[in-house]
Amino acid sequence: MTNDLMLLMPLIIVGAGAILLMLSSAYQKLTHEMAAYGSALVFAVAFLVQLSACITGNAVLFSGAFNGLLVASSFSKAAGLIILACGFFTAMSSQTYFKQNDFCSPEYYSLTVFAASGMLLLTMAQELITVFIALEIMSLAIYILVGYDRKNVISTEAVLKYLMLGAFAGAFLTMGAAFVYGATGSTKFVKIAQYVAAHGFMQTPALIGGSFFILVAFLFKAAAFPFHAWVVDVYDGASVPVTGYMATGLKTAIFAVFANFLVLDASLQSGWITYLFYIAVFTMFVGNLIAIGQQSLKRMLAASGIVHTGYLLIALVAVSTKDFTGSVIAYYLAAYAASTLGIFCALSYLGGAGEKRSTFDDFKGLAKSRPYSAAAVSVFLLSMAGIPPTAGFMGKFYIITSAIEAGQVTLAVLGIVSSIISMWYYLRLIVNMYFCEAEEQFGEAVPSNLAPICTFVLVVCVFAISLYPVVI
Amino acid sequence: MFAHVLSVIIFLPIIAGLLLLATPASRNIARFTGMIVSLAALVLSLDLYMGFQSTGHLEFVENIPWIASLGVSYALGVDGISLFILMAGSVLLPMVYFVFATKEKGYYANLLIVQGAMAGAVCAADMILFYIFWEVMLLPVFFMLGLYGGPKRLPATLKITLYTIAGSLLMLAAIVYLGVSYHAQFNEWSFALDKMAQLNLSGRVAAVAFFGFMIAFAIKIPLFPFHTWLPDAYTEAPTATTFVLSAIMAKIGVYGVIRFVVPVFDQEFARFAVLLAYSGVIGMMYCGIAAITQKDFKRMLAFSSASHMGIIALGVFCMNVQALTGSIYQIVAHATSTGVLFLFAGILEERTQTRTISDLGGIAAKAPVFALYFAIAMLASVGLPGTSGFIGEFMIILGAVKFNTAVGVLAGTTLIIGVCYMLWMFQRVFFEKATPKSENFKDFSLIEGLAFLPVIILIIVMGVYPQPFLSKITPSTALQFASAAPVVAQAASATNAHLPELTIEQK
Repeated sequence: MTNDLMLLMPLIIVGAGAILLMLSSAYQKLTHEMAAYGSALVFAVAFLVQLSACITGNAVLFSGAFNGLLVASSFSKAAGLIILACGFFTAMSSQTYFKQNDFCSPEYYSLTVFAASGMLLLTMAQELITVFIALEIMSLAIYILVGYDRKNVISTEAVLKYLMLGAFAGAFLTMGAAFVYGATGSTKFVKIAQYVAAHGFMQTPALIGGSFFILVAFLFKAAAFPFHAWVVDVYDGASVPVTGYMATGLKTAIFAVFANFLVLDASLQSGWITYLFYIAVFTMFVGNLIAIGQQSLKRMLAASGIVHTGYLLIALVAVSTKDFTGSVIAYYLAAYAASTLGIFCALSYLGGAGEKRSTFDDFKGLAKSRPYSAAAVSVFLLSMAGIPPTAGFMGKFYIITSAIEAGQVTLAVLGIVSSIISMWYYLRLIVNMYFCEAEEQFGEAVPSNLAPICTFVLVVCVFAISLYPVVI
Repeated sequence: MFAHVLSVIIFLPIIAGLLLLATPASRNIARFTGMIVSLAALVLSLDLYMGFQSTGHLEFVENIPWIASLGVSYALGVDGISLFILMAGSVLLPMVYFVFATKEKGYYANLLIVQGAMAGAVCAADMILFYIFWEVMLLPVFFMLGLYGGPKRLPATLKITLYTIAGSLLMLAAIVYLGVSYHAQFNEWSFALDKMAQLNLSGRVAAVAFFGFMIAFAIKIPLFPFHTWLPDAYTEAPTATTFVLSAIMAKIGVYGVIRFVVPVFDQEFARFAVLLAYSGVIGMMYCGIAAITQKDFKRMLAFSSASHMGIIALGVFCMNVQALTGSIYQIVAHATSTGVLFLFAGILEERTQTRTISDLGGIAAKAPVFALYFAIAMLASVGLPGTSGFIGEFMIILGAVKFNTAVGVLAGTTLIIGVCYMLWMFQRVFFEKATPKSENFKDFSLIEGLAFLPVIILIIVMGVYPQPFLSKITPSTALQFASAAPVVAQAASATNAHLPELTIEQK
């Protein structure tokens, strides 16, 4: 029991912290400065607790205490670490962002913590209703965060879009859960897997339909083809730190539960591999096509997020059910999170008041006036593009290796072709920053040092992660 | 001397370069740091050269496991093949800091990084490590070309970058495929170079992987028809970058073919060798003819360099010891001759503010030392007996005739084109009447003269007395064929008998 509670500790800390922050902002005891530090503190403490659990504890399935609702494997712990780190850096960069933008209130930070608690629960969920609850905890907080700038039309449009479509996805998930329950008599992943192993996958129509609905919900949240259309507008409408948070933390949580769901049973996985194969390919190439045409940096990053979802789907296709550690997926998520968060951290102070710099052209000549920031952004872009010696390269290397090892040579080669195409839009920003003359001044003082420091820390992370060896 | 000499040669310049970029150092500090670091690397490499035992196997091996579960390790080592490319880099690069005194900080810093990365690519004994250095090598070139290049630098930068990255990402897939095949065949993960030779590959996927490697290297070399990025990049790049690209980076492409393609894909290589050899010869002719018509001397040198890379590549594709040894020799010869010619062209451009051949004339009278140096480097690049270029080209042609008479004859006769464009250019630039632009041409200062002197001496020594160099190369090249599969081994047993005879011919 105590062991189970220890494993749940990060979740408890984050949940309690979120409630505490919400209450104290309701009584107006907090300036938003203090709320920022408070939420960062919650994330940091939870991160350290999770880290100590990672170092000491082995993977313990605590089915006894929670009746098989939750799991704490090395994979879910790693995903939890990534999510908490994302939350921490989001809180820090938000603090700097809101020095230049004025629509902040202390509740903003408590919502980021609430979202994180949903994500953490999602990584551990082993049961469909728990998944639904966790998903909704996370999504509700994110809906509010996306539309936080109430006076901004684009932001309002974004939240409307996301809320409507997200509600559909949630409905699909419950529908699917109901179907699956009807077919198998249980909502627990383990029981479902046992049923599939015993009766086969294609025998029960309700099971097929149910899994299809569940898959739709997951693919929607993960921004995969053909449910990717909302991504660009929503990412564009949300404020920079929130976009970074959605692109990293949310994606990590979704892929964690996705992997947990698929690895339970070999026949369950093999039933979906063919579809995931095509979805991965289309996700990569559609994402690339969208990204190439963009003029706005945020929209390009949103589209490149779709492409990275495609790479993660490759890893998912190549996952082996026998000795699943999820290390490839976790590694890629960490690498991707470090570089994406880094670039959004940098944008949160480079964007200027009211995000006035948003297109590629606005960043022309940045290297002349802000050499360190430009260098950091270049590192993040190179990492996303997968150029060594950054973490992004190692992540791609692991994904390609696991794909070829699983016999998916075509998928690996298509992934590589896609990353060749993606060089175009990543290089474009580097070319603009370094080789073009400045059209405007970047002279204004940085409002706070937190975001620049975080950017620097993330640069170090990008290189440090690349050196960390992973067991496949 | 000490245990990790290769690591120091690799990482000393990289760290120095990164530190320069990260600190607000002035350009003078940057230049002197570059000078000292590159000289230190030179001293270390000379020490390495002296201590080299010429066993034919990898020496100065360092091996630290990195990703144990995939068998990826930080493994370094040099043999007779890599030693000479490493030496070419270490010997030639210090000159740049002496000759070009007024460049930006980033120029020197990037130059340092690229030096370290190239050394790393050449010394890496693990495929993943090689790939990492191979890609890192491109980044400084990207920035130098884009920041300090000529007026049309942006398209040239994008062209070379996208071209090379596309090639190398395909190579990454091929590398991973090799690693996975090794795992499947020997039930053990490894990406070590020397283990890949044991792989038994066949079928269509092997051919695809073969081309994955070949295209990446063909782009870097560049081999016809993958040379289209070269004229723009070489012409627009600042002098030092062109020098780095032509003198060393192109050679790493050839090195890659020798190191990866020949031992691992012996069957595919034997199958496609004639095709590749012809593409080398066609590249030689095509770029040679293109060089004749150029009006811009830097562009002419670019084409001449591509033409020479054709013959070096040809030497590798001939699959016998003579041609391969000749290729390695020619790699050094080409680096010291054409590479240095690019530096001379840079000086010429800096002092006359023009690159058009017809704007120049009569420089020999104004600057006799410069003209003499230029003539020696040029004659070496043409392959005049008594210079380094002759030995290499002679051995390659010898090997080519043995491999396939038609290829050999074509390659031999194509060399004449090189003489045409070089001598014609020399005549127009250095003799004839002085033009307004070249009237006030200043000769080398003492420092510049002394900086170039060792290379000029090296060209002549390598041309007159090649034995000490050959004796370090031959064990490795012979081993290359001795260990290979039956197809090539047949050729090796035949060629071993010729070795003594060959060395007598040299003397």
